[in-house]
Amino acid sequence: MSLLQRILEDPARFKRLKVVFYVTLVLIAAAEVVLPKVFHKDDAHAHHFDFEGWPVFGSAYGFVSCVVIILVSKFIGKLWLMRKEDHYDS
Amino acid sequence: MTPDWVHPGLVLILGAWILPFLKGGLKKTAMLAIPGTAMFICFTMSTGSFCEVNFLGQELTFLRVDKLSLIFSYIFSLMALLGMIFALHVDDDTQHISALGYAGGALGVTFAGDLVALYLFWEFMAVTSALLVWLRREPEAERAAFRYFLVHVFGGLVLLAGILLHGHATGSFAFEHFGESGGIAWGLILTAFLLNAAVPPLGAWLPDAYPQASVTGAVFMTAFTTKSAVYVLIRGFAGTDFLIWLGAFMAIYGVVYAVLENDARRLLAYHIISQVGYMVCGVGIGTELAINGATAHAFAHILYKALLFMGAGAVIHMTGKNKLTEMGGLYKTMPITLGLYMIGACAISAVPLFSGFVSKSMVVSAAGEKELPWIFLTLTLASAGTFLHTGLKLPYYMFFGKDTGAKGAEPPKNMLAAMALAAIACTVIGVAPNLLYDHLPNSLEYHPYTLAHVTATMGMLGFTALGFFMLLKHLDPEPKISLDTDWFYRRGSAAFVALTVRPLARLEFGFVGEIYAFVMRRFVLGGASVLRAFDTHIVDFTAVGVGRLTQASSRILKTTVSGNIQHYGLIMLAGVLVLLALVMFI
Repeated sequence: MSLLQRILEDPARFKRLKVVFYVTLVLIAAAEVVLPKVFHKDDAHAHHFDFEGWPVFGSAYGFVSCVVIILVSKFIGKLWLMRKEDHYDS
Repeated sequence: MTPDWVHPGLVLILGAWILPFLKGGLKKTAMLAIPGTAMFICFTMSTGSFCEVNFLGQELTFLRVDKLSLIFSYIFSLMALLGMIFALHVDDDTQHISALGYAGGALGVTFAGDLVALYLFWEFMAVTSALLVWLRREPEAERAAFRYFLVHVFGGLVLLAGILLHGHATGSFAFEHFGESGGIAWGLILTAFLLNAAVPPLGAWLPDAYPQASVTGAVFMTAFTTKSAVYVLIRGFAGTDFLIWLGAFMAIYGVVYAVLENDARRLLAYHIISQVGYMVCGVGIGTELAINGATAHAFAHILYKALLFMGAGAVIHMTGKNKLTEMGGLYKTMPITLGLYMIGACAISAVPLFSGFVSKSMVVSAAGEKELPWIFLTLTLASAGTFLHTGLKLPYYMFFGKDTGAKGAEPPKNMLAAMALAAIACTVIGVAPNLLYDHLPNSLEYHPYTLAHVTATMGMLGFTALGFFMLLKHLDPEPKISLDTDWFYRRGSAAFVALTVRPLARLEFGFVGEIYAFVMRRFVLGGASVLRAFDTHIVDFTAVGVGRLTQASSRILKTTVSGNIQHYGLIMLAGVLVLLALVMFI
């Protein structure tokens, strides 16, 4: 059994994996706020727009993008685009 | 220094034809040596114009070597080599000849210094790439290949019309920037280029055909058609404003379809459209940074997209399944494939230290420099979508998720080797971007690894992953297909026929039929009865009369022909006597 399989199939280890995932997310978001402030030497030319300087803009925009893409695409798909697999065969 | 006459494209196109004459190890060596030679030529070329031929009073340039054509030739020839390594186990010379010819065509387009040479190689690519779909040799693939071919023949004709009008108007077939004229020739050439770049609504051929190609053929297809189109767009239409919006729309368009897609390779095909969107957008922005970005992104994209298609192809090759709903749990049997695929996924998702991060960000930064906030936000949103599908959805349902019992195993070694080489290239470019930046057409400094950029990207990717796991149950692939603009020629044409047939039938049976019946009864049948009377009375009577006459005369003659030799002798003697009497008395 590979390491990956052991982690994924053991509920205790899988739970630990989840915790690691959430902690990483918090660290990433924190890094996005803190690090550029600490080492702000490249801040001047790093931002083209004001909104990029908002705290956790990257993280928030990533999350919103993901949710919007899934919901809007599924909505369009269900309403209009998705057909049975044999749609073109008849 | 390159001799004047060695065209790397021709090395591939003609070199491929020795393959059917070779066997075993020798053939495999040749399969690698041919693209290897082409690559060597590309990497050792010096700038300038070579292979100039006078054809029908036109000066044609087959080798225009400058920084822009060189960087594209590097990646095209490298890709030909990687693709051949991936296809090394395939025993089908026709496929190899088509694939090498296709790559050679792309090099031909890249080096074409005039529109006539461009057109020749453009059409050659259409034929050879259609063959790669065809040669999967399944009814479904043959139909898709036919549609693909028709679309590209249409595109080729549009291009030809544009070239002829352009040549007529300007008196030159040189392939330079077409300016901002907006005339008919300009529009036709741009349309043909956009069709090959798979820009909606002209791009439905791509997700229609690529998933139907053979496992190895699809890997070639991901590289050449769309990226050679990006190359000609950069050369001919850089700075054409509306391409900015078209490109950004394209980036989103591919992402939306990828949410709905169930076929693994079709999902990746929609992401080609999305990624080419960044390049088209870069072409539209047209600044030095944007052109460098479009070029760098094309370079990086060819490598990671080939790697992704190789990964998905390896799964299809080993399991025989191509739908996500029929896969799952393959991480246990195909861990190396999974690992290599994930490197490609990191590269396309622009994870720091992988190639997409250093190329995509140039286009996004160019949008920033030009102060286009909406383009910036749209491209960033599409980035999240890319990671969502290629980095999370596809690997999740292919390698993890619900095990549907599809049996897998690691693919042949040559497939893994090609994937490993592509993965190394994706990582090297990500870690040492200057290796790529030094060869870009415009020389300017660009630093992708700023702290703000890295942290914002990590945040964006991390929280996209969070969104993915929260909405996982909404993302389950469904065994369905999605309508795209190919509907117009797949179903719409049938509807068109149905619509037109009914009035046509009414016209035929009503109007034409009535006229026909009237003319037939009155004139044709009437005339015929006169003719028949003439026939029975005059012609027959004559024939019968002649017969009777012959019969009567032969009856008389019969009495003279007794068959008795004495009678004939007597008649001959009588004749001789008559002759003598005539001679003596006259």
